[in-house]
Amino acid sequence: MAMDFSYKETWLHKINPSLKLLIMVLLFIHLLMIHNTNILINYMIGMLALYLFFTGHPWKRLLVISIPFLLIFLTSSTSMIFFGKGEITWAKWGLVHITEESFFRGLHLGFRGISFAILGIVFALTTRPVYLFYSLMQQFKLKPKYAYSFMAAIRLIPLMIEEMQTLHYALQVRGVQGERGVNGFYRKIKSYSIPLLSQSIRRAYRIAVAMEAKRFSNHGNRTYFYRLGFSKFDVIFLCYLLVIIPLSYVTATHFPYFSITDVRFGS
Amino acid sequence: MEKGLKLTDILVTIIIALIFGVIYKLWGPLYGVVATLGLHLEQLIYGMWFIAAVVAYLIIRKPGVALLAEIAAAQGEFIFGGEWGVATLIFGIGQGLAAELIFAAFRYKRYDMLIASLAGVAAAVASIGIDFYYGYIGDLALWNLLILFGTRIAGAILISGIFAHLLVQALEKTGVTNLVRPATKEDYQALG
Repeated sequence: MAMDFSYKETWLHKINPSLKLLIMVLLFIHLLMIHNTNILINYMIGMLALYLFFTGHPWKRLLVISIPFLLIFLTSSTSMIFFGKGEITWAKWGLVHITEESFFRGLHLGFRGISFAILGIVFALTTRPVYLFYSLMQQFKLKPKYAYSFMAAIRLIPLMIEEMQTLHYALQVRGVQGERGVNGFYRKIKSYSIPLLSQSIRRAYRIAVAMEAKRFSNHGNRTYFYRLGFSKFDVIFLCYLLVIIPLSYVTATHFPYFSITDVRFGS
Repeated sequence: MEKGLKLTDILVTIIIALIFGVIYKLWGPLYGVVATLGLHLEQLIYGMWFIAAVVAYLIIRKPGVALLAEIAAAQGEFIFGGEWGVATLIFGIGQGLAAELIFAAFRYKRYDMLIASLAGVAAAVASIGIDFYYGYIGDLALWNLLILFGTRIAGAILISGIFAHLLVQALEKTGVTNLVRPATKEDYQALG
C-alpha cells in the first residue's frame, strides 16, 4: 500500500484530490476516443513523464512498480494480435492469424492499457485516501456516512492482513495439511475466507455502531478537520495537460511513427 | 428513521468490498499470467471481479448494497495501485449497476444460487459491453469473440454465482449474517 511508504511531496500531491479524480475519469473517456496509435504513443510519453519525474517516490520503487506494466501490455495486446480481424496477412499458424491491422490494433490496446496503468498509479502514488474522501465530501458533497465508512474500512485492512498471518500460523501449528486438487483448493480458500470475513463483519459492525453513536453519519452543518480547496497546483496540472494533449496531436500528424491513423476494422 | 442505507450497512458493505478489493488487486497478475496462455482461458477467472457485489448483497440483502460494494471494491483496487487504473472504476460502476438491476428486478426478495448466478451473468454482460469500446473486442475474429463470451459468462456463473453463494452459506453458519440483515417476517412471527 502506497500510503505507508516515505516519499517527497511534489506538486502532484498538492492538487485537489476530487479534481484529480475527475480529470482521471475524463482522461479515461478521452483516451477511449483515440484510435490513432501515433497520438496515443505521444500521450503515453506525456503521462510517463509525470510518473517518472513528479511522483516524488524513489527510483527503485518506481522501477519495481512498473514491472506489471509489461504484463499489462502483453495481456491487452496478444489476443487481438493473434485473433483480430484484418485483411493483410502477415502470418498464419492454425487458429492464429496475424494481420497488419490486427497487429497494430493489438499494439494500440497495449499502449492504451499502459496509459491507463500509468494514470492510475500516478493517482495512487500521489493521493492520500484520507484527503481524497475529505475532498469528496467538501467538493462533491459525498455523504459523510459513505466517506467515513470508506476511511474506517481502509484503516481496518492492515488489521485484516495481520489476522490472516495469525490464521496462517494457527493452521500451521495445528499441522493442517493442504490437500491437492480442486477440492483441496476450495477447502483452503474456505478455511481462510470464512474466519476473515466473519471477523471483519463483526468488527465493522461494532465500529459502525460506535460511529453512529458519535454522529459520524450526520450531515448538514459539519466542520472538517482537513479543509481542502483549490490552489495554483490545480492550475499547473491543467496547464500541463493542456500543453501535452494538443502537443501529442500535433507531433502525431507531423512526425508519425506508423502510417496507420485508425486501428478500428473497416475504417 | 433515515432513508436508505444506514452507516452500519455501508461500513459492513465497504469492508466486505475492500477484502475483495485486495483479492481483485492480487487477481490482476494471476489473470495476466493465465492470459499469456492464449485462447481466453483467462476469461474463466474473470468472474472473480463480479463477486463483491453478489457476496455483499447476499449477506446484507438490502437495495443499493450490490452497487456500492462493486464500486468500493473497484475503488479499493484503484487506490492500492491496480494495474488497470481508472478503467477499474468504470468497469466497477457498470458491473455493479448490472448486478443491482437483477436484484431489483426480483424486488430484493430472492437470495438463492440462481439469482446470484444471474447477477454474475448480468455483470459479465456489462463488462463485455464496456469492452467493446475499451478493448475493440468487436474486431476479434467471430469464433474467438464467441469463446470470450462463453468463457467469461461461464466464469461468472462459477465464481460469482455458485462460489459466492456457497461462501455466504458457510458464513451464515457462523451467525455473523444475523447481525447485519434486516429483520424478516419469520423474526417477527417468532416474537409472537
